[in-house]
Amino acid sequence: MGLTESAMHDIKISVRDLNLYYGGKQALRNISLDMPPNRVTALIGPSGCGKSTFLRSLNRMNDLIGNVKINGKVMVDNVDVYDRKVDVVELRKRIGMIFQKSNPFPKSIFENVAYGPRINGLGDRKRLDEIVESTLKKAALWDEVKDELGKSAMALSGGQQQRLCIARALAVDPEVLLMDEPASALDPIATAKIEELIYEFKENYTIVIVTHNMQQAARVSDFTAFFYMGELIEIDETRKIFTSPEKKQTEDYVTGRFG
Amino acid sequence: MERHFERELDDLKRHLVEMGALVDRQLDDACEALFGGREDLARAVIDRDVEVDVMDNEIDKQCQNILALSQPVAVDLRLLISALQINNQLERVGDIAVNVAERTEALARSTTFLRTSRLQEMIQIARIMVRDSLDSFVSGSAAQAGRVIASDDVVDNLGRETFRTIVRSMQEDNAKIEPGAVMLILIHHVERLADHATNIAEGVIFLVEAKLVKHNPGVL
Repeated sequence: MGLTESAMHDIKISVRDLNLYYGGKQALRNISLDMPPNRVTALIGPSGCGKSTFLRSLNRMNDLIGNVKINGKVMVDNVDVYDRKVDVVELRKRIGMIFQKSNPFPKSIFENVAYGPRINGLGDRKRLDEIVESTLKKAALWDEVKDELGKSAMALSGGQQQRLCIARALAVDPEVLLMDEPASALDPIATAKIEELIYEFKENYTIVIVTHNMQQAARVSDFTAFFYMGELIEIDETRKIFTSPEKKQTEDYVTGRFG
Repeated sequence: MERHFERELDDLKRHLVEMGALVDRQLDDACEALFGGREDLARAVIDRDVEVDVMDNEIDKQCQNILALSQPVAVDLRLLISALQINNQLERVGDIAVNVAERTEALARSTTFLRTSRLQEMIQIARIMVRDSLDSFVSGSAAQAGRVIASDDVVDNLGRETFRTIVRSMQEDNAKIEPGAVMLILIHHVERLADHATNIAEGVIFLVEAKLVKHNPGVL
């Protein structure tokens, strides 16, 4: 796979021979890769290459789509997430997801963040207040909204809404964050804030991010995986992918000479 | 369809080759001036150095613009890094042409002594190294660049030998002390010329094979 022994000493997510079919169409072909904890792994590749499908397979979001067949293994902390004994709700708590389009609930800012802890049975208002404040601080949104927590989340700007969605994902204390083009609908300043968050989050979370923005992958990630037509072509340290990738296909893609 | 970005890279390469041709001509004229005792030609080399400096700045600027506006990666990034390095080395080759030309006057009456020393042979090898390093850049040949790097030792050895021969001539004939001292300085310049060719060749290997051979000849 090209990753150095030392970099892969600890493994948070390990995928082996993963195949995924949408009906008769195979979307992922024999994907095997490892992702270390507390690192950012970027998934890049042209539209339809399978990177988002792969991302969604890590917390079983593809289960929600009908007619999907999956074989192979996705291990998180050595537990197969596709094992029948796995509680999918619990799994998605541990492996949170942030989408391209921010999707706050049509509720107040406070309720958006408190939603997860509440459905997990937390009713203590003081404790909820603490969680809302600390998570909004982690998502770098607290200073902007602290005086209007009762305001509708829908009234926030696009960038603020996306950070609110990040706070909502953090409120249930996940270990892994999956991000599917989290900044593609944002302006450069809002994008920079999200990228800064990703950088800071490394300390506490393992992050997998799908991005079409090559420079964003280069800026925020430690490892980059290049997908093409459902196959993993190459995964390596990001600095290697962007200076001297092993495979010609990877080089053609990152330099924009693809196709 | 060729992209605008690729045209910019081609333009940068063309510019570097022009810079290479200009400094090669400078070296050619400087050598002819030195060994032929032609002070007029030496003057022309010194005056033309401003053209080398202008082109040096233009190429630097071109690299800065591409880096800032296109944010190249992988082989394109390596091309930009190599281009900056090669351009810098070529500018210094141009300076050496001036250094050589500047010694013409002092050696105008000692051309026989100059021709019988092995300095001419040394300059020839160093100049071939400069040309070959540029050829390896144009053709993208890491093998040719590797041969340039290997030639550096030949020039260094020849430099030591020439140094000893000139010192012996100076010891034997007082009249050779003054031109001999100038020739010893020239040996140093020619050794530097070979070093610049070596640095260019290292840049080519980095560009083609993504290997850093600078200070690390074991990689070759």
